Amino acid sequence: MYSFLIANGLENYFLGATKIFFILFSLLYFAFALIVVKQVTSMSKSVKDKFNYVLVIFSFLHLAFSILLILTMIAL
Amino acid sequence: MNRSKDLDTIAPDDDVFVPDPVQEIPLIEPKKKKVVKTKIPTKESTMVEDFNQKIHDILGHTKNPFSSFLVHPKVLKFTEQDDHEIIYLAVRPHWITNISWFFISIAMLFVPLFFVYLSFLNIFPIQYRFAITLFWYLITFIYAFEKFLSWYFDLFLVTNERIVDIDFNNLLNKHFAEADISAIQDVSFSIRGILGTFFNFGTVLIQTASEKNQIIFDNVANPQKIMRLLKELRDLNETKGVKNV
Repeated sequence: MYSFLIANGLENYFLGATKIFFILFSLLYFAFALIVVKQVTSMSKSVKDKFNYVLVIFSFLHLAFSILLILTMIAL
Repeated sequence: MNRSKDLDTIAPDDDVFVPDPVQEIPLIEPKKKKVVKTKIPTKESTMVEDFNQKIHDILGHTKNPFSSFLVHPKVLKFTEQDDHEIIYLAVRPHWITNISWFFISIAMLFVPLFFVYLSFLNIFPIQYRFAITLFWYLITFIYAFEKFLSWYFDLFLVTNERIVDIDFNNLLNKHFAEADISAIQDVSFSIRGILGTFFNFGTVLIQTASEKNQIIFDNVANPQKIMRLLKELRDLNETKGVKNV
């Protein structure tokens, strides 16, 4: 399939479309990561325990990586 | 031979300490003894002590906060908790129920190693494949994290006033159910399967007279201990009223 694209000079169009798809997908993932942070914070408030802050940190790390994902997709 | 009564008259050169009559020696006041108030055991306090001892006998004690069976958790609190409410027991699903997602997560970690064998991925340049790999690891992380959170915040609490079921499903749904101890009508449990029998976990079914007439706790550790605890609480509630404890 890829050889067909190259043969017809459509390679760049294909990669461009893929990139747009990846960016949209990573934006959706970022929204999901935001929901995770919100939910973990809410859960930690509902049930207070010793290690809740670790979970909140993990959720924020996940959010940071989702931002990194967007940046990676844009930089493609 | 008689000994002299005053030896200083015999050996006057000896240094003799004579206290200065003017100098006042400060008086050290004797320390006041602390008055220890001894509690006179009342009928109620002995009842509470007996009850606490009974709880200890039934449940034992655990110190690990990640345990699935927390007795008298001192740090754990929940939003709907009253000021005078004491949590006797906090139970999560047995840790063995986490095994499946744990191994799936481990397996997912190694999946990118096989990306080279997927021919359709080879059409993408290397930076695209890096982005796909990064995305895959994020998916792996969030899968494990979500499963862990669902386990960690899936709590069944027994307090001196009520039983509480707190449940977070799929990071998006929160479920809260409670029933007064006095509203408990019937408690039963079942242990099923090889794993349940081996690791001693099962389902506790509580029939209540409250709005939600059934509260079910799945895969909880030591279901028979929970049943005994609820029975003791119900008995205490009938005789005295747990709220006054």
